Amino acid sequence: MVLEATMICIDNSEWMRNGDYAPSRFQAQADAVNLICGAKTQSNPENTVGVLTMAGKGVRVLVTPTSDLGKILACMHGLEIGGEMNLAAGIQVAQLALKHRQNKKQQQRIIVFAGSPVMHDKKALEVIGKKLKKNSVALDIVNFGEDDEGKTEKLEALLAAVNNNDTSHIVHVPAGPNALSDVLISTPIFTGDGEGGSGFAASAAAAAAGGVSGFEFGVDPNLDPELALALRVSMEEERARQEAAAKKAAEEASEQDATMTEHASEGPSGADNKKNEIPDDDNTLLQQALAMSVDEPASTQDLQDTEMSDAAAEDPDLALALQLSVQESTKDSSSEADMSKLLADQSFVSSILASLPGVDPNDPSVKEMLASMQNQSESQQKQDEDKAPEKKEEKEEKEEK
Amino acid sequence: MSAAESATAIQRNQVDLLDFIDWSGVECLNQSSSHSLSNALKQGYREDEGLNLESDADEQLLIYIPFTRVIKLHSIVVTGSEEDGPKMVKLFTNREHMGFSNVSDFPPSDTAILSPDNLKGKPLVLKYVKFQNVRSLTIFIEDNQSGSEITKVQKIALYGSTVETTDMKGLKKIEDHNH
Repeated sequence: MVLEATMICIDNSEWMRNGDYAPSRFQAQADAVNLICGAKTQSNPENTVGVLTMAGKGVRVLVTPTSDLGKILACMHGLEIGGEMNLAAGIQVAQLALKHRQNKKQQQRIIVFAGSPVMHDKKALEVIGKKLKKNSVALDIVNFGEDDEGKTEKLEALLAAVNNNDTSHIVHVPAGPNALSDVLISTPIFTGDGEGGSGFAASAAAAAAGGVSGFEFGVDPNLDPELALALRVSMEEERARQEAAAKKAAEEASEQDATMTEHASEGPSGADNKKNEIPDDDNTLLQQALAMSVDEPASTQDLQDTEMSDAAAEDPDLALALQLSVQESTKDSSSEADMSKLLADQSFVSSILASLPGVDPNDPSVKEMLASMQNQSESQQKQDEDKAPEKKEEKEEKEEK
Repeated sequence: MSAAESATAIQRNQVDLLDFIDWSGVECLNQSSSHSLSNALKQGYREDEGLNLESDADEQLLIYIPFTRVIKLHSIVVTGSEEDGPKMVKLFTNREHMGFSNVSDFPPSDTAILSPDNLKGKPLVLKYVKFQNVRSLTIFIEDNQSGSEITKVQKIALYGSTVETTDMKGLKKIEDHNH
Protein backbone atom coordinates (compact mmCIF):
# COMPACT_ATOMS: atom_id res chain seq x y z
CA MET A 1 0.00 0.00 0.00
CA VAL A 2 2.95 2.30 -0.49
CA LEU A 3 2.06 5.53 -2.22
CA GLU A 4 4.12 5.36 -5.37
CA ALA A 5 4.60 6.95 -8.75
CA THR A 6 5.95 4.45 -11.28
CA MET A 7 7.42 4.90 -14.73
CA ILE A 8 7.56 1.79 -16.89
CA CYS A 9 10.23 1.72 -19.59
CA ILE A 10 9.25 -0.56 -22.47
CA ASP A 11 11.72 -2.09 -24.88
CA ASN A 12 10.22 -1.90 -28.36
CA SER A 13 13.39 -2.60 -30.28
CA GLU A 14 13.82 -5.03 -33.20
CA TRP A 15 14.84 -7.77 -30.79
CA MET A 16 11.27 -7.92 -29.55
CA ARG A 17 10.05 -9.65 -32.70
CA ASN A 18 11.52 -12.92 -31.48
CA GLY A 19 9.04 -15.63 -30.56
CA ASP A 20 10.94 -17.37 -27.78
CA TYR A 21 8.41 -15.95 -25.33
CA ALA A 22 4.91 -16.88 -26.47
CA PRO A 23 3.45 -15.34 -28.61
CA SER A 24 6.26 -12.84 -29.17
CA ARG A 25 8.60 -11.06 -26.80
CA PHE A 26 6.80 -7.81 -27.38
CA GLN A 27 3.37 -9.27 -26.63
CA ALA A 28 4.62 -11.00 -23.50
CA GLN A 29 6.10 -7.72 -22.38
CA ALA A 30 2.85 -5.86 -23.08
CA ASP A 31 0.90 -8.39 -21.00
CA ALA A 32 3.32 -8.00 -18.15
CA VAL A 33 3.02 -4.21 -18.34
CA ASN A 34 -0.77 -4.40 -18.24
CA LEU A 35 -0.64 -6.62 -15.17
CA ILE A 36 1.81 -4.35 -13.40
CA CYS A 37 -0.32 -1.28 -14.08
CA GLY A 38 -3.35 -3.06 -12.70
CA ALA A 39 -1.51 -4.23 -9.60
CA LYS A 40 -0.05 -0.82 -8.84
CA THR A 41 -3.31 1.10 -9.24
CA GLN A 42 -5.15 -1.49 -7.20
CA SER A 43 -2.78 -1.58 -4.29
CA ASN A 44 -3.27 2.12 -3.66
CA PRO A 45 -5.84 4.22 -5.52
CA GLU A 46 -3.57 7.25 -5.41
CA ASN A 47 -0.73 5.46 -7.14
CA THR A 48 0.19 6.72 -10.57
CA VAL A 49 1.81 4.89 -13.44
CA GLY A 50 3.40 6.24 -16.60
CA VAL A 51 4.81 4.51 -19.67
CA LEU A 52 7.60 5.33 -22.05
CA THR A 53 9.28 3.49 -24.92
CA MET A 54 13.04 3.29 -25.15
CA ALA A 55 13.59 2.27 -28.76
CA GLY A 56 12.05 3.39 -32.02
CA LYS A 57 13.06 6.83 -33.18
CA GLY A 58 14.05 7.77 -29.65
CA VAL A 59 12.83 7.73 -26.10
CA ARG A 60 9.17 8.71 -26.12
CA VAL A 61 6.88 9.19 -23.16
CA LEU A 62 3.53 7.63 -24.03
CA VAL A 63 1.70 8.67 -20.90
CA THR A 64 2.87 10.69 -17.91
CA PRO A 65 2.17 9.23 -14.47
CA THR A 66 -1.59 8.92 -14.07
CA SER A 67 -3.94 6.83 -11.98
CA ASP A 68 -6.29 6.33 -14.92
CA LEU A 69 -5.79 2.68 -15.86
CA GLY A 70 -7.81 3.02 -19.05
CA LYS A 71 -5.53 5.71 -20.35
CA ILE A 72 -2.46 3.60 -19.64
CA LEU A 73 -3.86 0.51 -21.34
CA ALA A 74 -5.02 2.55 -24.31
CA CYS A 75 -1.59 3.96 -24.98
CA MET A 76 -0.19 0.42 -25.22
CA HIS A 77 -2.11 -0.08 -28.46
CA GLY A 78 -0.50 0.56 -31.79
CA LEU A 79 3.08 0.45 -30.55
CA GLU A 80 5.58 -0.23 -33.28
CA ILE A 81 8.65 -2.35 -33.02
CA GLY A 82 11.92 -1.02 -34.36
CA GLY A 83 15.23 0.59 -33.61
CA GLU A 84 17.55 -0.03 -30.73
CA MET A 85 16.94 0.36 -27.04
CA ASN A 86 18.65 3.28 -25.33
CA LEU A 87 18.68 2.23 -21.70
CA ALA A 88 20.51 5.22 -20.24
CA ALA A 89 18.34 7.80 -21.95
CA GLY A 90 15.23 5.84 -21.07
CA ILE A 91 16.05 5.80 -17.39
CA GLN A 92 16.97 9.46 -17.35
CA VAL A 93 13.77 10.51 -19.06
CA ALA A 94 11.82 8.34 -16.66
CA GLN A 95 13.53 10.07 -13.75
CA LEU A 96 12.62 13.43 -15.21
CA ALA A 97 9.01 12.40 -15.66
CA LEU A 98 8.88 11.28 -12.05
CA LYS A 99 10.42 14.51 -10.85
CA HIS A 100 7.47 16.40 -12.29
CA ARG A 101 4.86 14.17 -10.73
CA GLN A 102 1.89 16.00 -9.34
CA ASN A 103 1.84 14.46 -5.90
CA LYS A 104 5.26 15.02 -4.40
CA LYS A 105 4.50 12.69 -1.53
CA GLN A 106 4.68 9.66 -3.81
CA GLN A 107 7.75 7.44 -3.74
CA GLN A 108 9.51 7.29 -7.09
CA ARG A 109 10.02 3.99 -8.91
CA ILE A 110 11.19 3.02 -12.38
CA ILE A 111 10.51 -0.41 -13.89
CA VAL A 112 12.72 -1.27 -16.85
CA PHE A 113 12.13 -4.12 -19.29
CA ALA A 114 15.55 -4.90 -20.69
CA GLY A 115 15.02 -7.30 -23.57
CA SER A 116 17.75 -6.35 -25.99
CA PRO A 117 21.50 -6.13 -25.49
CA VAL A 118 22.80 -3.25 -23.39
CA MET A 119 25.08 -0.92 -25.34
CA HIS A 120 26.33 1.21 -22.47
CA ASP A 121 29.30 0.26 -20.39
CA LYS A 122 29.17 -0.67 -16.75
CA LYS A 123 30.66 2.60 -15.52
CA ALA A 124 28.04 4.73 -17.23
CA LEU A 125 25.27 2.56 -15.78
CA GLU A 126 26.74 2.82 -12.31
CA VAL A 127 26.80 6.60 -12.54
CA ILE A 128 23.13 6.57 -13.53
CA GLY A 129 22.39 4.23 -10.67
CA LYS A 130 24.09 6.49 -8.16
CA LYS A 131 22.12 9.46 -9.42
CA LEU A 132 18.89 7.55 -8.97
CA LYS A 133 19.87 6.57 -5.45
CA LYS A 134 20.78 10.13 -4.59
CA ASN A 135 17.31 11.27 -5.61
CA SER A 136 15.73 8.31 -3.80
CA VAL A 137 14.33 6.67 -6.92
CA ALA A 138 13.90 2.88 -6.75
CA LEU A 139 14.57 0.76 -9.82
CA ASP A 140 13.18 -2.63 -10.84
CA ILE A 141 14.84 -4.39 -13.76
CA VAL A 142 13.24 -7.21 -15.75
CA ASN A 143 16.03 -8.98 -17.60
CA PHE A 144 14.55 -11.09 -20.40
CA GLY A 145 15.03 -11.74 -24.07
CA GLU A 146 18.58 -11.46 -25.37
CA ASP A 147 21.25 -12.72 -23.09
CA ASP A 148 24.57 -11.61 -24.49
CA GLU A 149 27.72 -11.70 -22.44
CA GLY A 150 27.99 -8.95 -19.92
CA LYS A 151 24.36 -7.90 -20.03
CA THR A 152 23.50 -9.63 -16.79
CA GLU A 153 26.65 -8.31 -15.18
CA LYS A 154 25.92 -4.75 -16.27
CA LEU A 155 22.36 -4.88 -15.03
CA GLU A 156 23.45 -6.33 -11.70
CA ALA A 157 26.00 -3.52 -11.37
CA LEU A 158 23.27 -0.98 -12.12
CA LEU A 159 21.05 -2.53 -9.47
CA ALA A 160 23.84 -2.50 -6.90
CA ALA A 161 24.43 1.20 -7.52
CA VAL A 162 20.74 2.07 -7.12
CA ASN A 163 19.75 -0.28 -4.38
CA ASN A 164 18.97 1.37 -1.10
CA ASN A 165 17.70 -0.96 1.61
CA ASP A 166 16.38 -3.55 -0.84
CA THR A 167 13.86 -1.26 -2.45
CA SER A 168 15.18 -2.11 -5.92
CA HIS A 169 15.03 -5.55 -7.54
CA ILE A 170 16.19 -7.41 -10.60
CA VAL A 171 14.41 -10.40 -12.10
CA HIS A 172 15.92 -12.66 -14.74
CA VAL A 173 13.28 -14.35 -16.86
CA PRO A 174 14.61 -17.08 -19.17
CA ALA A 175 12.61 -18.12 -22.22
CA GLY A 176 10.35 -21.05 -21.53
CA PRO A 177 6.79 -22.35 -21.34
CA ASN A 178 5.80 -19.99 -18.55
CA ALA A 179 4.50 -16.64 -19.63
CA LEU A 180 6.55 -13.59 -18.67
CA SER A 181 3.66 -12.20 -16.63
CA ASP A 182 3.26 -15.41 -14.63
CA VAL A 183 6.90 -15.43 -13.66
CA LEU A 184 6.77 -11.79 -12.64
CA ILE A 185 3.70 -12.20 -10.46
CA SER A 186 5.61 -14.03 -7.79
CA THR A 187 8.48 -11.56 -7.74
CA PRO A 188 8.88 -8.54 -5.46
CA ILE A 189 8.17 -6.35 -8.48
CA PHE A 190 4.54 -7.27 -8.11
CA THR A 191 4.31 -7.97 -4.44
CA GLY A 192 6.09 -4.79 -3.56
CA ASP A 193 8.91 -5.46 -1.11
CA GLY A 194 7.30 -8.32 0.77
CA GLU A 195 4.21 -6.49 1.89
CA GLY A 196 2.18 -9.52 0.98
CA GLY A 197 0.92 -8.00 -2.20
CA SER A 198 -2.41 -6.66 -3.24
CA GLY A 199 -5.40 -8.93 -3.65
CA PHE A 200 -4.92 -8.68 -7.39
CA ALA A 201 -1.41 -10.01 -7.30
CA ALA A 202 -2.22 -12.68 -4.74
CA SER A 203 -5.17 -14.07 -6.65
CA ALA A 204 -3.25 -13.97 -9.91
CA ALA A 205 -0.43 -15.82 -8.17
CA ALA A 206 -2.82 -18.49 -6.97
CA ALA A 207 -4.10 -18.91 -10.48
CA ALA A 208 -0.60 -19.18 -11.86
CA ALA A 209 0.48 -21.68 -9.22
CA GLY A 210 -2.61 -23.85 -9.63
CA GLY A 211 -2.66 -23.92 -13.43
CA VAL A 212 -0.32 -26.12 -15.45
CA SER A 213 0.45 -23.66 -18.16
CA GLY A 214 -1.56 -20.72 -19.33
CA PHE A 215 -4.69 -20.29 -17.27
CA GLU A 216 -6.48 -22.42 -14.74
CA PHE A 217 -9.93 -23.70 -15.74
CA GLY A 218 -9.27 -22.55 -19.28
CA VAL A 219 -10.56 -19.12 -18.37
CA ASP A 220 -8.35 -16.09 -18.77
CA PRO A 221 -8.54 -14.10 -15.53
CA ASN A 222 -7.99 -10.97 -17.56
CA LEU A 223 -10.83 -11.64 -19.94
CA ASP A 224 -13.36 -12.83 -17.43
CA PRO A 225 -12.21 -12.16 -13.90
CA GLU A 226 -15.55 -12.85 -12.26
CA LEU A 227 -15.93 -16.27 -13.81
CA ALA A 228 -12.35 -17.16 -13.03
CA LEU A 229 -12.85 -16.01 -9.47
CA ALA A 230 -16.09 -17.99 -9.08
CA LEU A 231 -14.44 -21.13 -10.43
CA ARG A 232 -11.46 -20.67 -8.20
CA VAL A 233 -13.63 -20.12 -5.11
CA SER A 234 -15.68 -23.25 -5.73
CA MET A 235 -12.50 -25.22 -6.32
CA GLU A 236 -11.12 -23.97 -3.02
CA GLU A 237 -14.32 -24.97 -1.23
CA GLU A 238 -14.12 -28.41 -2.75
CA ARG A 239 -10.53 -28.75 -1.68
CA ALA A 240 -11.42 -27.63 1.80
CA ARG A 241 -14.04 -30.35 2.11
CA GLN A 242 -11.63 -32.95 0.81
CA GLU A 243 -9.03 -31.73 3.22
CA ALA A 244 -11.46 -31.98 6.11
CA ALA A 245 -12.11 -35.62 5.28
CA ALA A 246 -8.48 -36.49 4.87
CA LYS A 247 -7.59 -34.45 7.89
CA LYS A 248 -9.87 -36.35 10.22
CA ALA A 249 -7.96 -39.53 9.58
CA ALA A 250 -4.64 -37.80 9.83
CA GLU A 251 -5.47 -35.49 12.75
CA GLU A 252 -3.39 -37.23 15.34
CA ALA A 253 -0.51 -37.38 12.97
CA SER A 254 -0.60 -33.68 12.30
CA GLU A 255 2.28 -33.33 14.77
CA GLN A 256 4.48 -35.06 12.24
CA ASP A 257 5.09 -32.85 9.23
CA ALA A 258 5.95 -35.77 6.98
CA THR A 259 2.55 -37.28 7.21
CA MET A 260 0.93 -33.93 6.69
CA THR A 261 2.65 -33.44 3.42
CA GLU A 262 1.80 -36.97 2.35
CA HIS A 263 -1.86 -36.38 2.86
CA ALA A 264 -1.65 -32.95 1.43
CA SER A 265 -0.34 -34.46 -1.75
CA GLU A 266 -3.70 -36.16 -2.19
CA GLY A 267 -5.25 -32.84 -2.92
CA PRO A 268 -3.91 -30.33 -5.47
CA SER A 269 -0.65 -28.64 -4.73
CA GLY A 270 -2.38 -25.36 -3.92
CA ALA A 271 -3.87 -26.97 -0.85
CA ASP A 272 -0.37 -27.45 0.58
CA ASN A 273 -0.18 -23.91 1.78
CA LYS A 274 -3.52 -24.21 3.53
CA LYS A 275 -2.58 -27.42 5.29
CA ASN A 276 0.61 -26.08 6.71
CA GLU A 277 -1.16 -22.96 7.86
CA ILE A 278 -3.92 -24.76 9.73
CA PRO A 279 -2.52 -25.59 13.19
CA ASP A 280 -3.77 -28.19 15.66
CA ASP A 281 -5.89 -25.53 17.34
CA ASP A 282 -8.31 -25.81 14.46
CA ASN A 283 -9.39 -29.20 15.74
CA THR A 284 -12.28 -27.44 17.44
CA LEU A 285 -13.25 -25.80 14.17
CA LEU A 286 -13.11 -29.19 12.53
CA GLN A 287 -15.41 -30.60 15.15
CA GLN A 288 -17.80 -27.78 14.50
CA ALA A 289 -17.65 -28.55 10.82
CA LEU A 290 -18.49 -32.13 11.65
CA ALA A 291 -21.40 -31.00 13.78
CA MET A 292 -22.63 -28.91 10.89
CA SER A 293 -22.41 -31.80 8.51
CA VAL A 294 -24.30 -33.81 11.08
CA ASP A 295 -27.21 -31.37 10.72
CA GLU A 296 -27.29 -31.54 6.95
CA PRO A 297 -26.77 -35.05 5.75
CA ALA A 298 -28.66 -34.71 2.51
CA SER A 299 -26.69 -31.86 1.05
CA THR A 300 -23.32 -33.19 2.08
CA GLN A 301 -24.05 -36.69 0.92
CA ASP A 302 -22.75 -36.15 -2.58
CA LEU A 303 -19.75 -34.20 -1.38
CA GLN A 304 -18.87 -36.91 1.06
CA ASP A 305 -19.00 -39.35 -1.76
CA THR A 306 -16.55 -37.37 -3.85
CA GLU A 307 -14.19 -36.67 -0.98
CA MET A 308 -14.32 -40.28 0.02
CA SER A 309 -13.45 -41.50 -3.41
CA ASP A 310 -10.49 -39.16 -3.54
CA ALA A 311 -9.21 -40.15 -0.13
CA ALA A 312 -9.84 -43.80 -0.87
CA ALA A 313 -7.44 -43.74 -3.75
CA GLU A 314 -4.54 -43.77 -1.31
CA ASP A 315 -5.65 -46.22 1.32
CA PRO A 316 -7.61 -49.42 0.56
CA ASP A 317 -8.55 -49.91 4.23
CA LEU A 318 -9.97 -46.48 4.32
CA ALA A 319 -11.83 -47.15 1.08
CA LEU A 320 -13.50 -50.21 2.53
CA ALA A 321 -14.47 -48.47 5.70
CA LEU A 322 -15.81 -45.51 3.83
CA GLN A 323 -17.88 -47.68 1.60
CA LEU A 324 -19.36 -49.43 4.57
CA SER A 325 -20.18 -46.18 6.21
CA VAL A 326 -21.76 -44.85 3.02
CA GLN A 327 -24.03 -47.88 2.91
CA GLU A 328 -24.96 -47.41 6.52
CA SER A 329 -25.75 -43.78 6.10
CA THR A 330 -27.98 -44.37 3.09
CA LYS A 331 -30.10 -46.69 5.23
CA ASP A 332 -30.16 -44.33 8.12
CA SER A 333 -32.30 -41.25 7.73
CA SER A 334 -31.54 -39.54 10.98
CA SER A 335 -28.52 -37.35 11.02
CA GLU A 336 -25.14 -38.70 11.91
CA ALA A 337 -21.84 -37.97 10.31
CA ASP A 338 -20.21 -41.16 9.12
CA MET A 339 -16.86 -39.73 9.83
CA SER A 340 -17.64 -39.10 13.46
CA LYS A 341 -18.90 -42.65 13.78
CA LEU A 342 -15.74 -43.96 12.26
CA LEU A 343 -13.66 -41.77 14.42
CA ALA A 344 -15.52 -42.98 17.46
CA ASP A 345 -14.41 -46.44 16.54
CA GLN A 346 -10.99 -46.55 18.06
CA SER A 347 -9.92 -49.75 16.39
CA PHE A 348 -10.66 -48.27 13.01
CA VAL A 349 -8.71 -45.13 13.74
CA SER A 350 -5.70 -47.02 15.06
CA SER A 351 -5.68 -49.15 11.94
CA ILE A 352 -5.60 -45.95 9.91
CA LEU A 353 -2.79 -44.61 11.99
CA ALA A 354 -0.81 -47.83 11.67
CA SER A 355 -0.96 -47.55 7.92
CA LEU A 356 0.51 -44.05 8.04
CA PRO A 357 4.30 -44.02 7.95
CA GLY A 358 6.00 -42.41 10.87
CA VAL A 359 3.10 -42.73 13.27
CA ASP A 360 3.21 -45.13 16.16
CA PRO A 361 -0.28 -45.76 17.51
CA ASN A 362 1.23 -46.76 20.82
CA ASP A 363 2.81 -43.36 21.15
CA PRO A 364 1.33 -41.84 24.32
CA SER A 365 0.66 -38.49 22.71
CA VAL A 366 -1.24 -40.19 19.92
CA LYS A 367 -3.25 -42.15 22.43
CA GLU A 368 -4.07 -38.98 24.28
CA MET A 369 -5.33 -37.37 21.12
CA LEU A 370 -7.47 -40.38 20.39
CA ALA A 371 -8.97 -40.27 23.84
CA SER A 372 -9.77 -36.59 23.55
CA MET A 373 -11.22 -37.18 20.09
CA GLN A 374 -13.51 -39.80 21.51
CA ASN A 375 -14.64 -37.59 24.32
CA GLN A 376 -15.41 -34.82 21.89
CA SER A 377 -17.39 -37.01 19.58
CA GLU A 378 -19.19 -38.50 22.55
CA SER A 379 -20.26 -35.10 23.80
CA GLN A 380 -21.42 -34.24 20.31
CA GLN A 381 -23.60 -37.28 20.24
CA LYS A 382 -25.11 -36.46 23.58
CA GLN A 383 -25.99 -33.01 22.34
CA ASP A 384 -27.85 -34.26 19.31
CA GLU A 385 -31.40 -35.08 20.24
CA ASP A 386 -32.11 -36.91 17.04
CA LYS A 387 -29.97 -39.81 18.04
CA ALA A 388 -31.96 -43.01 18.16
CA PRO A 389 -31.23 -44.79 21.44
CA GLU A 390 -30.31 -47.95 19.51
CA LYS A 391 -27.63 -46.15 17.60
CA LYS A 392 -26.12 -44.93 20.80
CA GLU A 393 -25.94 -48.37 22.26
CA GLU A 394 -24.36 -49.67 19.10
CA LYS A 395 -21.73 -47.03 19.31
CA GLU A 396 -21.01 -47.58 22.94
CA GLU A 397 -20.52 -51.21 22.18
CA LYS A 398 -18.00 -50.41 19.53
CA GLU A 399 -16.14 -48.01 21.79
CA GLU A 400 -15.87 -50.50 24.54
CA LYS A 401 -14.04 -52.76 22.14
CA MET B 1 29.60 39.03 16.19
CA SER B 2 31.56 37.44 18.99
CA ALA B 3 30.58 34.14 20.38
CA ALA B 4 29.40 35.68 23.62
CA GLU B 5 27.17 38.20 21.89
CA SER B 6 25.54 35.60 19.73
CA ALA B 7 25.06 33.37 22.73
CA THR B 8 23.14 36.07 24.57
CA ALA B 9 21.13 36.83 21.48
CA ILE B 10 20.01 33.24 21.56
CA GLN B 11 19.13 33.41 25.19
CA ARG B 12 17.34 36.70 24.93
CA ASN B 13 14.43 36.08 22.64
CA GLN B 14 15.42 33.31 20.33
CA VAL B 15 14.26 29.84 21.06
CA ASP B 16 15.37 26.54 19.79
CA LEU B 17 12.90 25.87 17.02
CA LEU B 18 12.96 22.14 17.64
CA ASP B 19 9.43 22.27 19.00
CA PHE B 20 8.06 23.83 15.86
CA ILE B 21 9.42 21.36 13.38
CA ASP B 22 6.72 19.40 11.55
CA TRP B 23 8.32 15.99 11.83
CA SER B 24 5.91 14.31 9.45
CA GLY B 25 7.22 16.37 6.55
CA VAL B 26 10.92 16.30 7.30
CA GLU B 27 12.92 14.82 4.42
CA CYS B 28 16.54 14.33 3.63
CA LEU B 29 17.86 13.35 0.22
CA ASN B 30 21.01 11.29 -0.13
CA GLN B 31 21.22 10.35 3.51
CA SER B 32 22.64 7.01 4.49
CA SER B 33 19.93 4.77 5.87
CA SER B 34 21.87 3.91 9.00
CA HIS B 35 22.85 7.49 9.71
CA SER B 36 19.73 9.50 9.18
CA LEU B 37 18.59 13.04 9.76
CA SER B 38 17.17 12.29 13.20
CA ASN B 39 20.68 11.79 14.47
CA ALA B 40 21.41 15.42 13.75
CA LEU B 41 18.10 17.07 14.54
CA LYS B 42 16.45 15.29 17.42
CA GLN B 43 16.97 16.16 21.02
CA GLY B 44 19.35 13.74 22.62
CA TYR B 45 20.52 12.24 19.38
CA ARG B 46 22.21 15.40 18.25
CA GLU B 47 24.18 15.71 21.45
CA ASP B 48 25.49 12.19 21.08
CA GLU B 49 28.80 12.39 19.33
CA GLY B 50 28.58 8.84 18.08
CA LEU B 51 25.42 9.55 16.09
CA ASN B 52 25.85 11.52 12.89
CA LEU B 53 23.92 12.30 9.77
CA GLU B 54 25.91 10.87 6.88
CA SER B 55 25.56 11.24 3.16
CA ASP B 56 25.26 8.21 0.93
CA ALA B 57 26.00 8.23 -2.79
CA ASP B 58 28.12 11.37 -2.73
CA GLU B 59 28.98 14.22 -0.42
CA GLN B 60 25.91 16.42 -0.94
CA LEU B 61 22.89 16.51 1.29
CA LEU B 62 19.53 18.13 0.83
CA ILE B 63 17.50 18.60 3.98
CA TYR B 64 13.90 19.81 3.96
CA ILE B 65 12.37 20.97 7.24
CA PRO B 66 8.79 22.24 7.36
CA PHE B 67 7.49 24.04 10.43
CA THR B 68 4.18 23.90 12.22
CA ARG B 69 3.91 27.66 12.31
CA VAL B 70 5.49 30.60 10.63
CA ILE B 71 8.84 31.42 12.15
CA LYS B 72 11.62 33.92 11.89
CA LEU B 73 14.99 32.30 11.69
CA HIS B 74 17.81 34.05 13.46
CA SER B 75 20.72 31.67 13.42
CA ILE B 76 21.66 28.07 12.94
CA VAL B 77 24.25 25.82 14.49
CA VAL B 78 25.82 23.11 12.36
CA THR B 79 28.46 20.99 14.01
CA GLY B 80 30.61 18.25 12.61
CA SER B 81 34.14 16.97 12.54
CA GLU B 82 36.95 19.01 11.05
CA GLU B 83 37.52 16.74 8.09
CA ASP B 84 34.10 15.46 7.14
CA GLY B 85 31.94 18.27 8.41
CA PRO B 86 30.02 20.40 5.95
CA LYS B 87 31.65 23.37 4.28
CA MET B 88 29.40 25.18 1.87
CA VAL B 89 25.85 25.47 3.10
CA LYS B 90 23.00 27.12 1.23
CA LEU B 91 19.65 27.89 2.73
CA PHE B 92 16.35 28.19 0.89
CA THR B 93 13.08 29.29 2.42
CA ASN B 94 9.58 28.22 1.51
CA ARG B 95 10.53 25.98 -1.39
CA GLU B 96 8.75 22.67 -1.23
CA HIS B 97 10.31 19.41 -2.38
CA MET B 98 13.50 20.62 -3.93
CA GLY B 99 15.79 18.21 -5.69
CA PHE B 100 19.49 18.27 -6.37
CA SER B 101 18.76 19.30 -9.93
CA ASN B 102 17.01 22.53 -9.05
CA VAL B 103 19.27 23.85 -6.31
CA SER B 104 20.88 26.07 -8.86
CA ASP B 105 17.60 27.26 -10.37
CA PHE B 106 17.12 30.09 -7.93
CA PRO B 107 19.39 31.96 -5.57
CA PRO B 108 19.54 30.79 -1.97
CA SER B 109 18.23 32.99 0.81
CA ASP B 110 21.62 32.73 2.42
CA THR B 111 24.93 31.06 1.82
CA ALA B 112 27.55 30.25 4.39
CA ILE B 113 30.92 28.63 4.45
CA LEU B 114 31.43 26.92 7.75
CA SER B 115 34.63 27.60 9.58
CA PRO B 116 36.14 25.22 12.13
CA ASP B 117 34.63 27.44 14.84
CA ASN B 118 31.21 26.95 13.42
CA LEU B 119 31.79 23.24 13.33
CA LYS B 120 32.50 23.33 17.04
CA GLY B 121 29.22 25.02 17.82
CA LYS B 122 29.48 28.69 17.05
CA PRO B 123 26.13 29.75 15.62
CA LEU B 124 25.87 31.04 12.10
CA VAL B 125 23.93 34.25 12.19
CA LEU B 126 21.80 34.68 9.14
CA LYS B 127 20.55 37.61 7.13
CA TYR B 128 17.58 38.16 9.34
CA VAL B 129 15.58 40.13 6.79
CA LYS B 130 15.45 37.17 4.47
CA PHE B 131 14.13 34.85 7.13
CA GLN B 132 11.18 36.78 8.45
CA ASN B 133 8.43 34.60 7.15
CA VAL B 134 9.61 31.05 7.03
CA ARG B 135 7.23 28.13 6.63
CA SER B 136 9.84 25.64 5.54
CA LEU B 137 13.59 25.56 5.35
CA THR B 138 15.76 23.68 2.89
CA ILE B 139 19.40 23.20 3.78
CA PHE B 140 21.67 22.25 0.91
CA ILE B 141 25.06 20.99 2.01
CA GLU B 142 27.15 21.24 -1.09
CA ASP B 143 30.49 19.84 0.02
CA ASN B 144 32.56 19.05 3.06
CA GLN B 145 35.75 20.35 4.59
CA SER B 146 38.14 17.83 3.16
CA GLY B 147 36.36 16.98 -0.07
CA SER B 148 35.79 13.37 0.93
CA GLU B 149 33.05 11.16 -0.40
CA ILE B 150 30.94 11.25 2.73
CA THR B 151 29.80 14.31 4.61
CA LYS B 152 29.11 13.84 8.31
CA VAL B 153 26.96 16.22 10.30
CA GLN B 154 26.80 15.85 14.03
CA LYS B 155 24.17 18.42 14.94
CA ILE B 156 21.82 20.88 13.32
CA ALA B 157 20.04 23.36 15.58
CA LEU B 158 17.83 26.22 14.50
CA TYR B 159 17.30 29.32 16.56
CA GLY B 160 14.67 31.93 15.98
CA SER B 161 11.27 33.01 17.05
CA THR B 162 7.72 32.37 16.02
CA VAL B 163 5.65 35.06 14.39
CA GLU B 164 2.39 34.86 16.32
CA THR B 165 3.53 34.02 19.78
CA THR B 166 6.72 36.00 20.11
CA ASP B 167 5.17 38.77 22.11
CA MET B 168 3.63 36.46 24.69
CA LYS B 169 6.92 34.75 25.33
CA GLY B 170 8.66 38.04 25.62
CA LEU B 171 6.18 39.20 28.26
CA LYS B 172 6.58 36.05 30.27
CA LYS B 173 10.30 36.34 30.34
CA ILE B 174 10.25 39.90 31.58
CA GLU B 175 7.96 38.94 34.42
CA ASP B 176 10.30 36.12 35.41
CA HIS B 177 13.21 38.53 35.60
CA ASN B 178 11.32 40.81 37.94
CA HIS B 179 10.49 38.00 40.28
